[in-house]
Amino acid sequence: MNGEQILEMEKIYLNVVPSTANKTGEWRLLTPTRKEKISPCRQGCPLGGEIPAWLNAIKRNNWAEAWEIMQRKNPFPAITGQVCFHPCTAECNRRNLDEAINIPAMERALGLWRLQNCRPAAPPRRVEGKIAVVGSGPAGLSCAYYLNRAGYRVTVIERAPVAGGLLALGIPSYRLPREILQQELQLLQEEGVQFVLNCSVGRDMEISRLYDDYDQVFLATGAALSRMPSLPGVKLNGVWSALDFLQQVNLGRTLEIQNPVAVVGGGNAAIDAARSAMRIKGIDRVTVLYRRTKEEMPADPEEVAAAAAEGVQFVFNVTPRELKGEQGRLVEAILNRSHTSGEKLIIDRDTELRIYCKTLIFAVGQERDWSVFGTLHREIRLCAGGDLISGPAAVPQAIQAGRIAAEALAAQLEGKPGPDPSPPESGAVTFEELHLAAWPGLAARGRQEDPSAEAERCLGCGTCNSCGICYLFCPDVAVTPDQGRYLFDLNFCKGCGICARECPARALMMEGGW
Amino acid sequence: MNSKINFIQPEYLHSGHYACPGCGAALAVRYLARALGPDLVVVITASCWSIIAGMPPLSALKCPILHCPFPSAGAVGSGLRRGLDLRGKHSTTVLVLAGDGGTFDIGLQALSGAAQRNENFIFVCYDNEAYMNTGIQTSSATPFGAHTTTAPYPLFKKGAKKDIMHIMAAHGIPYAATATVAFPGDLEQKFRRARQIEGFRFIHILSPCPPGWGADSADTVELSRLAVETGFFPLMEIFEGGAPVLTYRPEKRVPLEQYLKLQRRFRPLELQQIETLQQGVDEEWERLLKAAGPV
Ligand SMILES: Cc1cc2nc3c(=O)[nH]c(=O)nc-3n(C[C@H](O)[C@H](O)[C@H](O)COP(=O)(O)OP(=O)(O)OC[C@H]3O[C@@H](n4cnc5c(N)ncnc54)[C@H](O)[C@@H]3O)c2cc1C
Ligand code: SF4
Ligand code: SF4
Ligand code: SF4
Repeated sequence: MNGEQILEMEKIYLNVVPSTANKTGEWRLLTPTRKEKISPCRQGCPLGGEIPAWLNAIKRNNWAEAWEIMQRKNPFPAITGQVCFHPCTAECNRRNLDEAINIPAMERALGLWRLQNCRPAAPPRRVEGKIAVVGSGPAGLSCAYYLNRAGYRVTVIERAPVAGGLLALGIPSYRLPREILQQELQLLQEEGVQFVLNCSVGRDMEISRLYDDYDQVFLATGAALSRMPSLPGVKLNGVWSALDFLQQVNLGRTLEIQNPVAVVGGGNAAIDAARSAMRIKGIDRVTVLYRRTKEEMPADPEEVAAAAAEGVQFVFNVTPRELKGEQGRLVEAILNRSHTSGEKLIIDRDTELRIYCKTLIFAVGQERDWSVFGTLHREIRLCAGGDLISGPAAVPQAIQAGRIAAEALAAQLEGKPGPDPSPPESGAVTFEELHLAAWPGLAARGRQEDPSAEAERCLGCGTCNSCGICYLFCPDVAVTPDQGRYLFDLNFCKGCGICARECPARALMMEGGW
Repeated sequence: MNSKINFIQPEYLHSGHYACPGCGAALAVRYLARALGPDLVVVITASCWSIIAGMPPLSALKCPILHCPFPSAGAVGSGLRRGLDLRGKHSTTVLVLAGDGGTFDIGLQALSGAAQRNENFIFVCYDNEAYMNTGIQTSSATPFGAHTTTAPYPLFKKGAKKDIMHIMAAHGIPYAATATVAFPGDLEQKFRRARQIEGFRFIHILSPCPPGWGADSADTVELSRLAVETGFFPLMEIFEGGAPVLTYRPEKRVPLEQYLKLQRRFRPLELQQIETLQQGVDEEWERLLKAAGPV
């Protein structure tokens, strides 16, 4: 080959046109499409949180996007991250590989990110419509958040001297640091939500007035009235209801509580009362009395273990029969043995146990709070939610109720049909359905400290987890990485379907046509 | 599962190439080009890739391509290498890309000659187990039991697939390896290794072909994975013609039937013949384990 010929060859090479001039997307019969399926965590979450989607954003270190996704269902992750009993993790598919994703810690991290980084943003535009929310528990706050964002003027009316409902007056501060609640409340206020405290609707103000002054009213007064058993001696000094007791503690009042303390009940309120009592100066003998066995306790096992670790004693299979006092002050409780038989509780009246106690706290149930109606005798159209409607439930359920109420009220004001009450999707993607064989380098790896590394453990389970498998296996280089997301270039995708077949998360489907 | 891989790397295969949807050979070349990088010249012998690469001036690869006649891949690779060396371009990698026809059958003598002379280039056989480009005619790489247009249904290929790895190892070449597209980490690593080695290197890539195998185009990677997981196509390396080294060992081999049933080309097989095939794979696997010695 002489020099000229070589030059000639190089010229040909330089004139080459990339085959991208050839739009092979025209060959396509089927198109890869992201089709989200529900994940077990999302199915387990009482407020239907889009968990894999916001985890994915954290994995990509895009916290602003993660917050945007989070707040579609949950505006208070800093709170739920602390207090929710996280049923989401119970079913997490990752358990089958190593350990469930630490969703609460991630939720907390995102909540704190939001409190630190999001300046209060006034709603994009104000619209006609004034709304009153009665009760500032999580249901009321969530409703206020969504309606305010939609542009309505929201006023929250609260009976207590502080806002937050059971978040402020029920849940002890060692489980929910009050700075967090304060910051959330402050953000709401700065974003335009009005708060009226110390106003008991039905007593200080007729509920019918709200219907005159506001365009819509949401009632979320909860179920925080304590139920007391009818036993001889319940009126003695030193006998409390858990809700009153916790409320006093949470309001920072100094209580006349004396050692030893007995708490009757087996739910979370009983444990909260016992642990709170333990924290009072001079109190070091606290015993929880429960009528059934330890295994039958409805309280969160982690909470029970924490109480035991702090020195709280437990006596099981006992039911109080009578309280005895001296000069009006409690001194002892007389108990019967009791146990479960089938569904029923059998109390053995012949046994008698005595327990010396100067304080006794009953945590045996809550009643719904209908006080708002006062002396109402006019017909009103009622929109209500949270514990008031469900009976004692939990914070995420209340948040969900507030969001749905906000949607319904906004729809009414706009004259549109309300939200679709369709039941939650069933049939979450199972571990077996995932296609983990396609995922190179996927190995068992326990929980990680770093949020982004922890989020990376999420398998997606029906939602894109940004693993990049679709990109890796595309014979047409038709999947484009874009800052940790993967986009389909339909100019070139021939519709082979490999990406959808290989997607480990099962987040893709081939759909007919272009 | 699969060895680790850096997903995002520079790509040297352009979109818009002419491969069929779901083409295993396109994927194979995408990965090997990622591993070898830009300083590369590719010789393509008559095969699907003669088409996939595109008609000039279009090109699917970001590197120079030299098309050559069917039997000559080994000779053209040798000549190109020497020409580049004469011009001082020692670092440029020469890669010969041949199908199973251009390797097992028509290209075998030039391949054998180049291997015997220990020419300094990489010879890649992307094996789709028949003459696919000309219309699915049987080759000596076609496995027993597959029907092709020259062994139309209800006939099927009677002889066994030629053992090309044995043949190449017998040449005592510095490096020979098998790879396939479901294991891109393993594939890319083998090409990076091959690049570091001087002399003749041979890499055999099993490349599922949806139309030729009668498979769903979405199943390409799954088929490639099953070929390995069943033990039908073991992943290995052979240095200097020595004992094979397995680069991946299935935890528990999957029954061959799962691999066969995704392909209509194996439709004529009766249960008994499937058992015979399974037996063949089992024996070959045992032999391989023995030859490979303790891991
Ligand atoms: C001790 C305790 C611990 C708990 N711990 C947890 C936990 O860890 N995790 C969890 O998920 N759930 C927990 N729960 C349950 C959870 O707190 C409740 O389900 C949730 O707070 C209900 O929200 P809500 O908004 O419906 O009602 P609430 O939080 O009860 O709020 C109702 C509000 O309405 C106000 N109100 C009532 N009547 C009037 C009126 N007439 N006028 C004006 N205001 C009025 C009340 O003062 C109150 O502020 C706990 C409950 C208790 C009792
Ligand atoms: S792996 Fe991720 S998506 Fe799947 S259940 Fe767990 S948290 Fe949810
Ligand atoms: S393969 Fe991975 S990146 Fe692609 S869609 Fe599925 S989960 Fe997302
Ligand atoms: S793998 Fe590539 S070509 Fe095939 S359907 Fe997916 S994007 Fe399209």
